[in-house]
Amino acid sequence: MLEFNATVLAQIVDFIILLIFLRLVAYKPLAKLLADRSEHIASNIAAAEQERQQAEQLKAGYEAEMRRSREQAQEIIQKATKAGEDQALEIIENSKKEAAKIKDAALAEIEREKQKAIAELRDQVASLSVLVAGKIIDKNMDDQIQRSLIDNFIKEAGELQ
Amino acid sequence: MLSIEEVEHELNIWGWPHDTWDLVVGSTTLSFNPKTLIMTWITMILVALFAIAATRSMNMRKPKGAQNILEMVWEFIRGLVNENMDPKKGLVLLPIIITYFIFILFANLIGLVPTLSSPTADYNTTFGLALCTFFLIYIFGIRYKGLGYFKHYLKPFVFFLPITIIEDLTKPITLTFRLYGNIYAGEILIAVLLGMLGGWLHVFGGFIASVAWLSFSIFIGCIQAFIFAMLSIVYVSQAVSEEH
Repeated sequence: MLEFNATVLAQIVDFIILLIFLRLVAYKPLAKLLADRSEHIASNIAAAEQERQQAEQLKAGYEAEMRRSREQAQEIIQKATKAGEDQALEIIENSKKEAAKIKDAALAEIEREKQKAIAELRDQVASLSVLVAGKIIDKNMDDQIQRSLIDNFIKEAGELQ
Repeated sequence: MLSIEEVEHELNIWGWPHDTWDLVVGSTTLSFNPKTLIMTWITMILVALFAIAATRSMNMRKPKGAQNILEMVWEFIRGLVNENMDPKKGLVLLPIIITYFIFILFANLIGLVPTLSSPTADYNTTFGLALCTFFLIYIFGIRYKGLGYFKHYLKPFVFFLPITIIEDLTKPITLTFRLYGNIYAGEILIAVLLGMLGGWLHVFGGFIASVAWLSFSIFIGCIQAFIFAMLSIVYVSQAVSEEH
């Protein structure tokens, strides 16, 4: 009932021919293409990963730099503040000293003026008293006293010379 | 109501010879079924054209058209092979299985064209393909296990020898008749439908019956191509697997 004949052999040969043909025409380039594609994708992924790492490194670097510069800025501000405070203190100190000096000078001046005034006053008093004494003496001076006064005067004048 | 023979006779508008082609080599006569052979060659040409169309202008970044289909088939079969056996061993098997799948699929579907018939509706074709699988089992078994491959006939006991031999022999037989039966039944059913429709026989080679049976036959054709490829993978992977 089943009659196998040489068609079986022909079909095996046909199949092998088709297999060889497809291997040459289709499978080789297709396998190469698929391998290329997977390699391409893998390399893309690897590159993306690498770039991400680089970006992260860059980011970390920038962050560190930013932190450092912030610290530096803080430091500079602190320094400036301190310097300003110092300077202010110095200025105040200086002005205090200056004020004291001025005050001393003023006091000395006052003293000097006072002494001068006192000396002047004394002079005035002396000459006034001489004047007054002259006025008083003018009337009741006898010859004798006049004589001695003149002598004294001459004597003093002589001493002065 | 026409009989199947009458329908087939009416559908034979291409003038297929009923007798076999005989080739006498020495004292033996080799006879071939002309219809099967010619349909096989047409199928082969179609497969070849498909392969050329798919690989003519391949693009790695933007695959399109036939390239997509071939890639899909390739990835699908590769997934099946790699699931069942060591991918390194499967590398050699992969093109063979893909050729099985594409060839059988085209062979099954070409029978849906009115007045043409599937090469796989002839048990000579399916037996030829099954024999290829049968040989593949031994080629792969011996290649990866040496002569030690034949030890598995005696496992687990020596008494299992007849059973394991029968098991091996049933593989090509079941492969043959599963595919042949499904496809031949589809063609017979189309012929029967045409016989029932009677008058429609001469309208475009009786396309009404083909159309009515189209979705079912397409389904069967794809499934049978898949099953043949899948079973070939399983049989070969059994032969090369380490645990036996």
